[in-house]
Amino acid sequence: MLSIVAAVCLLTAQAPGPGLTARDSAFHALNRLAYGARPGEADSVARVGVMRWIEQQLDADHISDSRLAQREHEFKILHYDRGDLAERFGTAQRERQRRQREMKAGDTTNLDAVGPMREFRDLGGELQQLAIVRAAVSERQLREVMVDFWTNHFNVFVGKGADRFLLPSYIEETIRPRALGRFEDLLIATARSPAMLFYLDNAQSVAPGSAPPRPMMAPFRRRRFGMNELPEDRRRRPTGINENYARELMELHTLGVDGGYTQQDVINVARIFTGWSIQPPERGAGFAYHDWAHDQGDKVVLGQKFESDGEDEGVRLLKFLASQHATMHHVSAKLCARFVADEPPDDCVDAAVAAWQKTHGDIRAVLRAIFTSPDFWAPQVVRAKVKTPFEFVVSAVRAAGIEPDSTPRLARLVGRLGEPLYQQPAPTGYPETEAHWVNSGALLARMNAALMLAKQCSSVPTVPDHSQLVEAIDQKLLGGTMSAHTKSVILEQLADINDPEQARTLAVGLALGGPDFQRQ
Amino acid sequence: MTISRRVFVKAGGLALVSLGLDPLFLGRAAYALGRPFGAPGPILVCLFQRGAVDGLNMIVPHGEPAYYQERPRIAIPATDVVDLDGHFGLHPSLAPLKALWDNKSLAAIHAIGSPDATRSHFDAQDYMETGTPGVKSTADGWANRYCQHDREHANTPFRAVAFGPQLPRALAGSAPSLAIDDLQAFGLRVPQEAARDRLTRAFEELYDGAGTGLLASSSREGFEAVQMLKRADPTQYRPDNGVEYPPGRLGKTLLQIAQLIKADVGLEIAFADCGGWDTHVNQGSSEGQLAARLRELGLALAAFDKDLGDRMRNVVVLTMSEFGRTIHENGNSGTDHGHATAMLALGGPVNGGRVLGRWPGLSVEQRFEGRDVAVTTDFRDLFGEILARHLGATDLGAVFPGYEPSPGRFLGAIRG
Repeated sequence: MLSIVAAVCLLTAQAPGPGLTARDSAFHALNRLAYGARPGEADSVARVGVMRWIEQQLDADHISDSRLAQREHEFKILHYDRGDLAERFGTAQRERQRRQREMKAGDTTNLDAVGPMREFRDLGGELQQLAIVRAAVSERQLREVMVDFWTNHFNVFVGKGADRFLLPSYIEETIRPRALGRFEDLLIATARSPAMLFYLDNAQSVAPGSAPPRPMMAPFRRRRFGMNELPEDRRRRPTGINENYARELMELHTLGVDGGYTQQDVINVARIFTGWSIQPPERGAGFAYHDWAHDQGDKVVLGQKFESDGEDEGVRLLKFLASQHATMHHVSAKLCARFVADEPPDDCVDAAVAAWQKTHGDIRAVLRAIFTSPDFWAPQVVRAKVKTPFEFVVSAVRAAGIEPDSTPRLARLVGRLGEPLYQQPAPTGYPETEAHWVNSGALLARMNAALMLAKQCSSVPTVPDHSQLVEAIDQKLLGGTMSAHTKSVILEQLADINDPEQARTLAVGLALGGPDFQRQ
Repeated sequence: MTISRRVFVKAGGLALVSLGLDPLFLGRAAYALGRPFGAPGPILVCLFQRGAVDGLNMIVPHGEPAYYQERPRIAIPATDVVDLDGHFGLHPSLAPLKALWDNKSLAAIHAIGSPDATRSHFDAQDYMETGTPGVKSTADGWANRYCQHDREHANTPFRAVAFGPQLPRALAGSAPSLAIDDLQAFGLRVPQEAARDRLTRAFEELYDGAGTGLLASSSREGFEAVQMLKRADPTQYRPDNGVEYPPGRLGKTLLQIAQLIKADVGLEIAFADCGGWDTHVNQGSSEGQLAARLRELGLALAAFDKDLGDRMRNVVVLTMSEFGRTIHENGNSGTDHGHATAMLALGGPVNGGRVLGRWPGLSVEQRFEGRDVAVTTDFRDLFGEILARHLGATDLGAVFPGYEPSPGRFLGAIRG
């Protein structure tokens, strides 16, 4: 506690950056640590002191978040645990098969759009919309940003087989509680999560020649695990190692593609994780370790010997990987790309790595190092990053004072803009860079989204004077950073419009769909 | 309100009226000058049959006794098969394509697939779209890499277009590509034309002032596309030759592709999905589930061919699917995930009237893992040939990293 107080005193004494007013600093911090500023929020953060506000955000557990807690009650998906969802999915699958068997030739009914399968899909829509509501409404903004970051870093594709019912608990139980914790804990939790074990095939990875004891053969023989949704080859009893998780663990989750590992390291990591699997759905689909499937030999990874030690071997390996310099550098650079610039500045990455080393991977310490780095506040960085579709929609909702409902409407909008949540098939997750998100079709889609959202804007008052209107929009939506060019174009557009309501909607639509609002 | 800062294209040539355009865009415009849009270049239309089509019931090996032995309930009776060459024949639902076979503009490729053994839809589709089987970390798709490396083509916003709400993996990457869900609704969605034009101009001006970055250039390309489409007037489209496309999404998509081709806006690669091929249960034989899907495919392709008429001389349509299905029918009168499948190539440049690829046979020892049709043609050999000999790709090594389809491996799907 004392050290936090000390840190706060130290931080409030520092000026964020040259040439930034207190309000501009607050607006910048809200753009990066939060999903943009709500109307008036830049001022309130500036009053508190931007560095103090950052400390508060890093200490998320002490921020009251009752309004979000209230909103979460609307989401049925949060009432079901993994076992419930597995059961509902199994029922829906069987019903779908029954309907398929009874289908007459020429019947073009979409079997996913009717009956229990439809209900199950609707739950999936809820999960996406819940992410929007949390990002828009939560007071613990930095934690929500980090939940999104880690969900993307440890990507799982909801459309792959059993992940349709494994993903909700992955978000709730694996990612969310650890988003501001220690990297190592998060890494171990993802490795043990049924969602990841299924997504990257480790659940099917067994030592060659191994076979389950007789009673355990049953789930495979009856083909019950995951039902028909499982790819065919995974319904048969696996016969050897699967390198998929091992490779992505090192390439994406920890060391990075140039992290110095070899194909032999990949194979040995896969051997270490043999036996890490999933319980059958009817038993809750939780983590299971099968010693019969484990490769009992000794293994060497990056020159380090791992003696055969059952399940613990994998935990030791994960701790080893989490503490590698390549891992610190790879993940820190990704964090800096998210918070600072698409091309992360070296000094900032170095500062993050130093904090990582000092604290053995305390995510909050790493983030603090980034937010106190001069690079974070450099003028060329401020308002230079293009928002992802998710960031664009959520920031527009916040700025315009729109209360997101529990229907999947806004989640679908994010999907139409190219970032359907949890639906990235590739384990890389969604890219962070401007080059990926900005293309002509995507921009037109953002303009259409802006025009639609403008109709629901409640934060901008209806004022008859056009200059006052544009001024109000600049303050409410853009924290006073609207460019002179944008102002003049909007004013020009308003010239012949007399109806103040129409003028307001048009001006808000142009502001949200224009270039200033695409940046953060 | 000025529109003089817009680059716009007139049919038959390019009028460049520019102020303050960034060099990248001018570079693209210069490429465009090399081939006026009035003289259409080669076009590739890809149809992805997601869900793994049963190649054996699409292009039926009716001369193969094992085929009938393995599929007592779902085999297509020899009397129903539309015979092609005495050994293979079309599923009866594909009968509308027989005329194209006869005029040598339709070829079938059998026993084609991926060298990767996965039977996961997700992995196999990914591999077929990135063009890197077995490598999951590939960020972009083969069609996008083609656009990145072969820049001779007029780089219009319509060069690579996916029909659907999102860009498929095949088109993902740094080269500009467009996802169009509905051609008629492309642009700002404002009902009244006057209001739409006004908003379009307003956004255009807003982004013109956004400097020289990607936001500004992309917006310019977007509005250029909107303008080009407006002149093409997609709402007034009527298919030629009295063609009627079959009802359903595929027919609508192919109609829109035909429309875009006739608009001469520089389309080079079109990509569309058609689903419903994952026939684990009650697949059917000459009639049934698969028959219904194939009927829609056959009618839509035949309509597309007739609608485009003489323009088909520059067009190749290629169907693809992530893998095939088991030789043996399963206990639910369906088929499970297999290995090799069949693809179709159709169009003027196609060396048609032939079933291409080496047929591995269906006896147990000829199968992959004892159960599936073996892959004798890597899909990249076919894709590579079409890219090289039809579109004129010069750097296949860059399009398919780690694998360079060489002319020696080409099947001869494209006329020399």
